[in-house]
Amino acid sequence: MGKIYEPSLPKLMEAIAAEARGMKGLDRRNFLKGGVAAVAGLASVQIIPKASASSNLPPNLPKWQSHLGPGVVSKPYGEPSEFEDLQRRTVPWLTVDAASSISMTPLQDLEGIITPSGLVFERYHGGIPNVDPDQHRLIIHGLVERPLVLTMEDLRRFPSVSEIRFIECPANGGMEWRGAQMEALQFTHGMLACCEWTGIKLSTLLDEVGVKPEGKWVLAEGADAAGMSRSIPLEKALDDTIIAWGQNGEALRPEQGYPLRMLNPGWEGNTSVKWLRRLEIGDQPWHHREETSKYTDLMPDGRARRFSWVQEANSVITSPCPEKPLKQAGFVEIRGFAWSGRGKIRAVDISFDGGVNWERTELKGLVLSKALTQFSYRTTWDGQPWLLQSRAIDETGYVQPTLKQLRDERGGWSIYHKNSIHTWNVMENGDVFNVQIS
Amino acid sequence: MFRSLKSIPLVLVITFSAVASAGPLGIGSTATPEMIAGWDIDIRPDGAGLPHGEGSVAQGEGLYEAKCASCHGLFGEGEGRWPVLAGGDGTLDTLHPEKTVGSYWPYASTLWDYIHRAMPYTAPQSLTDEETYAISAYVLYLNDIVDEEFVANRETFARVKMPNEENFYVDNRPDAQNERCFKNCADPKTFEIVTTINGLTPTGHFKEDSGVAANHYEGNPSAASESGISKVMNNTKIVLSDKATVGKGVYDMACQACHNPGIAGAPKTGDKAAWVSRIDQGMDILNGHAINGYQGADGVMPAKGGNMSLSNDDVINAVAFMVESSR
Repeated sequence: MGKIYEPSLPKLMEAIAAEARGMKGLDRRNFLKGGVAAVAGLASVQIIPKASASSNLPPNLPKWQSHLGPGVVSKPYGEPSEFEDLQRRTVPWLTVDAASSISMTPLQDLEGIITPSGLVFERYHGGIPNVDPDQHRLIIHGLVERPLVLTMEDLRRFPSVSEIRFIECPANGGMEWRGAQMEALQFTHGMLACCEWTGIKLSTLLDEVGVKPEGKWVLAEGADAAGMSRSIPLEKALDDTIIAWGQNGEALRPEQGYPLRMLNPGWEGNTSVKWLRRLEIGDQPWHHREETSKYTDLMPDGRARRFSWVQEANSVITSPCPEKPLKQAGFVEIRGFAWSGRGKIRAVDISFDGGVNWERTELKGLVLSKALTQFSYRTTWDGQPWLLQSRAIDETGYVQPTLKQLRDERGGWSIYHKNSIHTWNVMENGDVFNVQIS
Repeated sequence: MFRSLKSIPLVLVITFSAVASAGPLGIGSTATPEMIAGWDIDIRPDGAGLPHGEGSVAQGEGLYEAKCASCHGLFGEGEGRWPVLAGGDGTLDTLHPEKTVGSYWPYASTLWDYIHRAMPYTAPQSLTDEETYAISAYVLYLNDIVDEEFVANRETFARVKMPNEENFYVDNRPDAQNERCFKNCADPKTFEIVTTINGLTPTGHFKEDSGVAANHYEGNPSAASESGISKVMNNTKIVLSDKATVGKGVYDMACQACHNPGIAGAPKTGDKAAWVSRIDQGMDILNGHAINGYQGADGVMPAKGGNMSLSNDDVINAVAFMVESSR
């Protein structure tokens, strides 16, 4: 439930601190959950110690150094260390069946802007088809001079491109429209990934078939049980759409459309049709189910936006976050991701007091168009509570809006395109909670 | 080698002229009209793509009840959490908008296209054109958009106007305007801080005092606390017969959508209490119901789960898997 704080900013922060003070350990974890029946469950808490490692610590010889390890090709396809817990996860109650559901990327565990292929969030409408690439075909037809059928071998003969681009489900954060619901970064922002994609520019393929002058739209259709289909305007198709077979240096994963998918950089993920089998050129859009019944934005007046393709600028702090609390006072680098479907990230600002005052952060590493961009802010933490926020600004000058600004436009019952400034409440003990300030 | 090259240009000329004009890179083969006809299944609001044939509301009623109602409800009201198809008029500007075919969808063509391409959920592209016309007509009838005499075909279907069509407009974002302010940008006196409610999110992977981990799928929150197939399979050693082992593949493809979460009265796989009386009837009766369909007190079992591409043996194997997993 909401808490209304009356006093000035210093008093507000003091009030948050005072409320947390005097609570011990796990009580403090639950302090913000105000009276929800959490406390009853505390008796059964089990603390499972990490594997006893003391004998490997200096000055002792670590056990892994005292004998040979496995040799080459002990694992022909390498996998993460057994000590890592890298998993896509889902919230089971979000959808009715796993074959038409979503899982989220563990953003809290990502190091850098590339999402490993096996951790890229999943979204299917009819499960993962098991496509044999030798029997897969791409047909391009409609308002074209030369309707073509292309094998995977044919496709690989075209001049190729490799580009690092994010892909995001437009429902990312959608569970938070009505209030703070998700207790973890993976679930508030994890319908998001960024990969290097390799394939052909769609413009190259369209040159090859020769689009007739009246051709204005492209229907993209998948070979999955949902026969996923979306209408893409020719302007986008000729701009930066990629028909991709590669992802992070290898073939697409089955979950990501093996052997062939569309990628519409910066646009809602659903338009990037996977398991692509057909492109039809037409003179008008098709208004199929995923661009009318779904992926449209019902507004408070009962009318609805359609073709809301762009994923607007967004950002989130990934460290600290609920999964990665602050464990020590002293120096801390606050890190996060920003991204925009309209181009490059120009700047990211950070607030420690719920958006009253803001500081500039530093962008780190590659700053690419329509790609995850890292930001960093170095500071010290001495156990004071924070209402931590980040705010992205993209190269068009668009400033990521507050939740209130977004709700004022769209109401509280929207589903898609929730890109508002996000708040983490850092507690005195370093625990981090998802909260909303409105 | 070089001598024989002299004859090659002639061959090339003949080849290129046969393909009419090749593209700039000359890659790929001509997609023949037959190839395109097999895959070109899309329908547009202007009726482009609608095939010959027809289907009436009356024909649609029986088809709908056999193939659709187990998920979408007899009147389009939706079973469990499967999509509601009918009703919702006048709710779009309220706090509980109900977006159904009748209240929200702008074009009837979308209904035909989607039913034909993706429904029934477990057997996509299994409906004939006539069946698709009939079911589409019936769903429109459930929404009071056509009357019970309506017969859908290329001409009549393309003329159907949906009540909400005019209420869609093209994306006009950016809408919300923020400024890049740095000092005193918000008034903390107005802050209302809303926190999460404990227990809605799987947090077992990072919180010791949490309930569930999110490493597998169990359909819905109530299912998570009951015995589901994944728990049965994970926690109990069940030795499956060869038949049931084969049947698991069929089950995963065609049966689990209903029998994992237990929707529309389907007995959940692994739920011994739900299966005991069914198993007592004997395998012949169970297999007969699964193959031919069955209307029980709790709900409808569509023939072969709605997937008519399954052979009788496929279904019998899947039943064996469910039975062996549930006793």
